[in-house]
Amino acid sequence: MTAELRSELLKQRSTRTGLGLFAGLLGLVLVAMLLHAYALPARILDSTSTQLMVFGRGGFLAILFAALLGALSITSEIRYGTIRSTFLVSPRRGRVIVAKVWASMLVGAAFGLAASALAAGVGTAALRARGIDVQLSGGDYALLIAGGAAAAGLWAAIGVGLGAVLRNQVPTLIGICAWLLFVEGLLAGDIAALGDVGRYLPGAAAAAISVQNADTLLSPVVGLVLLVIYATVAVLAGLLATARRDVA
Amino acid sequence: MRDLNLARSADDRERFPVVIGDAGARDPVVTLTSLTKRYGDLVAVDELSFSLRPGTVTGFFGANGAGKTTTLRLLLGLAEPTSGEALVFGHRYRELDDPARRVGAVLESSDFHPGRSGRDHLRTLALAAEIPSTRVEEVLALVELAAAAHRRVQAYSLGMRQRLGLAGALLGNPQLLVLDEPANGLDPAGVHWLRRFLRDFAAQGRTVLVSSHMLAEAAQTVDDVVIIDHGRHVASGRLHELTGGERTLEDVYLGLTGGAA
Repeated sequence: MTAELRSELLKQRSTRTGLGLFAGLLGLVLVAMLLHAYALPARILDSTSTQLMVFGRGGFLAILFAALLGALSITSEIRYGTIRSTFLVSPRRGRVIVAKVWASMLVGAAFGLAASALAAGVGTAALRARGIDVQLSGGDYALLIAGGAAAAGLWAAIGVGLGAVLRNQVPTLIGICAWLLFVEGLLAGDIAALGDVGRYLPGAAAAAISVQNADTLLSPVVGLVLLVIYATVAVLAGLLATARRDVA
Repeated sequence: MRDLNLARSADDRERFPVVIGDAGARDPVVTLTSLTKRYGDLVAVDELSFSLRPGTVTGFFGANGAGKTTTLRLLLGLAEPTSGEALVFGHRYRELDDPARRVGAVLESSDFHPGRSGRDHLRTLALAAEIPSTRVEEVLALVELAAAAHRRVQAYSLGMRQRLGLAGALLGNPQLLVLDEPANGLDPAGVHWLRRFLRDFAAQGRTVLVSSHMLAEAAQTVDDVVIIDHGRHVASGRLHELTGGERTLEDVYLGLTGGAA
């Protein structure tokens, strides 16, 4: 298992994919923070809940990029055919998938940590520069950053599971983007008939971990447990899908 | 020196196969028994049976679509047979302990991430198989890729990719080499190098299974021949027995598979 994990970590390091995603993530976080902090009216930015929501955009972007990273760890092997040599060396396919999950969770958590910290840092500085009082406590910051790391790590695992089930790279990546950027928002907010089902969806559960909105989200602990369940189900589905299916 | 213990474990029997009489009686390296693979109505591999003798190069011949690659995928545990079985050293591939040290295989010439260097590609395999990184440098030198190893695979020619694939197969210093069309994309010097390499490999008592449709070239390399057509076994045996020393392998092949002879 550690052998497969070392191999997976080297796979992550030895192409520019991870670094490219990381640079893209930090760039987007920076833009998002500056846009929010300077474009929103000062009276809205004044409240604690708005500040949490704005700083939470870092964690949200991190779960998206972590999921893409996790999905790519398996779909790019299928796309480029390296899955063949991977399974020849490690024919116990479950170990490969589990190693991909741990490696992606590690890198994904780093994504979450860096993006949340950058969002909190830049957001705070920008608000102060506008003369807006930042009302967050040390505990709020700690939860934003630690929660962002945990949520992104778990979403990376969801990405691996999804990639192992769908296998085809483009539909997998589009599916993840569509879900997080569009579908979940629709289900959670725009379709009133669904009631409060929205807060139990995986993206909302991720946001709940770092209390991005105490009014509409679950508590951090419930969000964490729920996201762990989502990630476990995704990984189990990925393991099942990989175990018996033929490799082209 | 191991003492003569009659109650040998199954594991020991596996590792030190009993040799009775001449070398021909040794356990086959590869055994296919009624191996069958169906995709819906299409029978890709049909009740195929053959075995490989240790220390030989066996050429695996058939037209495009005859089922060669599917057979190799079944043998290597990448696909599951519909019925029958394929055994490597007496085991299904997916149940081998430490497969990289027993079997090396190249199925496609382009199975690399284009953005990863040749050296890093080999290192990812070596890490998974717990093979020391010094061995990566050894196989790079062996296939004459040491100078290009730091470059990304996207800059490699087809011949370089073939050699990188071979380097990956050789990482674990295996006893069996399985190659699917390894001469594709090699220049004449590369083909010559590959032929000598495979002969030397077999001369050390190790075994090669190599699929090809380049019959004239392969005839210079192989000891044994297996010919399939539409997934079915057509002929197998020693090359000189099949050709009778008079006909070419091409004549034999075309005669057996219904082409113009």
